[in-house]
Amino acid sequence: MARDIKFLVKDIEDATRKAAQLAAVQIMNGLAKAGPAYTGRFSSAWYAVPKGGSVGGPRGSGSIYSYDKRNVPLARFQAGTWYQIRNGMPYADEAMDLAPYVPEPFKKQAAVKPQQYGSRAPGARRGDLSGAGKNTITAPLDWWARYNAAGQLQADLARGFRAGFGEARGFQ
Amino acid sequence: MNYQAVRAVFETPLLTAYNSLSPAVPVYFDNVMNDGADSAEEFVHINIQFGLTTELTLSDNPDRIRGVIVIRTYTPKGRGPARNQTLINVATTALQTINSTPKPASGVYVRTGAIDGPSFSPDFGGTTPDQQSRRAFTPFFISRIEAGFQAQVIS
Repeated sequence: MARDIKFLVKDIEDATRKAAQLAAVQIMNGLAKAGPAYTGRFSSAWYAVPKGGSVGGPRGSGSIYSYDKRNVPLARFQAGTWYQIRNGMPYADEAMDLAPYVPEPFKKQAAVKPQQYGSRAPGARRGDLSGAGKNTITAPLDWWARYNAAGQLQADLARGFRAGFGEARGFQ
Repeated sequence: MNYQAVRAVFETPLLTAYNSLSPAVPVYFDNVMNDGADSAEEFVHINIQFGLTTELTLSDNPDRIRGVIVIRTYTPKGRGPARNQTLINVATTALQTINSTPKPASGVYVRTGAIDGPSFSPDFGGTTPDQQSRRAFTPFFISRIEAGFQAQVIS
């Protein structure tokens, strides 16, 4: 169905906001799948927030969290605002291999994702296991960098934008 | 697909560069046991991961290997950043050399994206006083650079 050209600018704005929303959902799901999941809490703590905004805590545990549009309200996406996708867990830097892993006591349980075993030297990163040992990981070293720079982020972003523009009025 | 050849494009010049330092600095690659972490004062850790391998188009699925290389240099903590920055600069220079190598007639053609970093941990910017941090237990001062890359295997 044809649509009057006078709606074009508004349609593009609406489509862009929807695309950003769906892209954020795709990326958060991509991060949840790519990242570690022992209790599942880290996977449930991704947030899309304005730059410098505060993030919340975990939304659940026991499984890899599945994000949908309700986790990223459309009203958050305003023109001229930069958005970040960040994780709200206090140990997020360690989980993303950006800071050395600091061992802490934790309750042993069945891991959400399959575990790999090895030995982690003092001061090493979470994912930096070698040889045999009792230390475990549920995502490889530098999974975060891999997601960001090795194509998956762009693929999820593109998928989200395609879906967002597909949903928007005037772009069918 | 020749992932081993792609890996070699990065690992060989980096290993050569660190081996040519005096004294040579140990380099640990993926799946090589780092048995020196509790005895060596400084070492380098290089992690290469592959992401998407092909690119889907309307009528084809051509090879287009993408990945990321992450390089970390470990030096003693509490002695300032100079030595660490010297070591990470070796990696930066090697990556820039790889990036300026002309496309060969055969073999592997690689181009990296922007080199991100170095970032340092524990942070010496004063945002988190190290001695109050959980990271005060870390025995090394660590810098990290990363770069995404695209590779094409030319047969």
